[in-house]
Amino acid sequence: MTLETRTLVLISAAVVINIVAGQVVRMLNIPLYLDSVGTVLVAVLAGPLAGGLTGLVTNLIWGLILTPVAAAFAPVAIVTGLCAGWLARAGWFKTWWQSLISGVLISIPSTIVAVPIIVFMFGGVTGGGPDYAVAYLAAVGSSILKSVAFSNLGVNTVDKSLTALVAFVVISRLPIRLTTSYGFFAHSRA
Amino acid sequence: MAAWESYAGKGLLFTPGASVMHRANPLTSLIVTLWAISFAAILPVAGTALLTLAIIAFAFACGIGPTTLKRLAITMIPFGIALFLVHGVLVHAPDSVRYGPVSLSRGGFHDAAVLFFRLAAMLAASLLFVSTTHPSDMLKSLDARGVSPVVSYLIASPLLLLEPLSLRAKGIRDAQQARGMDLSGSWRARIGALPAMLIPLIALALSDLDHRVLILTGRAFRAHKRRTVLGAPPDDPGQMWFRRVLAVVAVAQLGVPLLWR
Repeated sequence: MTLETRTLVLISAAVVINIVAGQVVRMLNIPLYLDSVGTVLVAVLAGPLAGGLTGLVTNLIWGLILTPVAAAFAPVAIVTGLCAGWLARAGWFKTWWQSLISGVLISIPSTIVAVPIIVFMFGGVTGGGPDYAVAYLAAVGSSILKSVAFSNLGVNTVDKSLTALVAFVVISRLPIRLTTSYGFFAHSRA
Repeated sequence: MAAWESYAGKGLLFTPGASVMHRANPLTSLIVTLWAISFAAILPVAGTALLTLAIIAFAFACGIGPTTLKRLAITMIPFGIALFLVHGVLVHAPDSVRYGPVSLSRGGFHDAAVLFFRLAAMLAASLLFVSTTHPSDMLKSLDARGVSPVVSYLIASPLLLLEPLSLRAKGIRDAQQARGMDLSGSWRARIGALPAMLIPLIALALSDLDHRVLILTGRAFRAHKRRTVLGAPPDDPGQMWFRRVLAVVAVAQLGVPLLWR
């Protein structure tokens, strides 16, 4: 795969968007991540492979400069980028409601990939907000796997649909000159 | 690379120093870290606890002890509380014994301890690496080994852009607060504030894409498959052989127990 220079520059900006969006969410004390807005943005503009690469680079850099634990979740970020790109190719990012549904759809495979990492590598907890839901579900008799799957799917559904919606709003406000320079975006033009 | 190097130490875990880890070639430090991670994966709980302590002691010897310990505590304390609570108290195991309103599981606590110390050792090893290896040195080492300029750009460029955009995010937050945005308000108010903060930031990050494409194309940065590296971190045959041996040991120590079973 040869990336165009234009796509390369977009990926580097999107990686920063992912990290800073995560910081903004923490500033606002919102119990979400929103750390894949840039990944979805690249996937819609430049395709699934560029989206997956954005996710991978984001988590590797995050692991390198802030917390090495983030690197363990790189497969989740890759899947998010790939799925967003495939949905964009199928024309599911043309309107705000399609983007919202795409976010819900993206949350399913990303949960499927995240759950084994959380359960087998981290024993079902991550030291974050969703641990409360895991603890509650475990206390009422669910297995660790089920508790993590349900709590993660719940958080991911809200997180990824908001992520897809923010990406849609941003793309719809970008100058046409910029969006038309990415051929893949033709799949998402209304 | 000059602008990127001026970013040194700002927001990074890297701490300057002259210890053996600071002086080692970044690839050697990386292989040592990978070996420690692979060792932590196979050790029993007492072994991983000792390995964690050994890495912390080594971090102090390298002059990065307090920051490593602080970062380790920030990650591991909430993780440990959740881990012991879920596995030892909340999940019902066959060996659970009831003590008043709670039931405790000895096996659950053991499982939690295994995971806790294994992750603590892995995280401590990773922190030792990122605290003693500056990303620019790591990139120069990769460049010196013939890694594509595309890979170097993908890692170096976001690090360059990160600090100005983080500062801009804080600036936007302060401006919005001065205009009445309440960051400690209801969750609805905080979610409402999200677009006001995120959209200008993202637009800013994407504003000069064309300009940067022109600069890169003008510099013909993809003209050659390898970049010429100025000031690459020193390497020597001793370190190269040490890396090869340690890489083999790291793989073998994971594989041999599997064969043994």
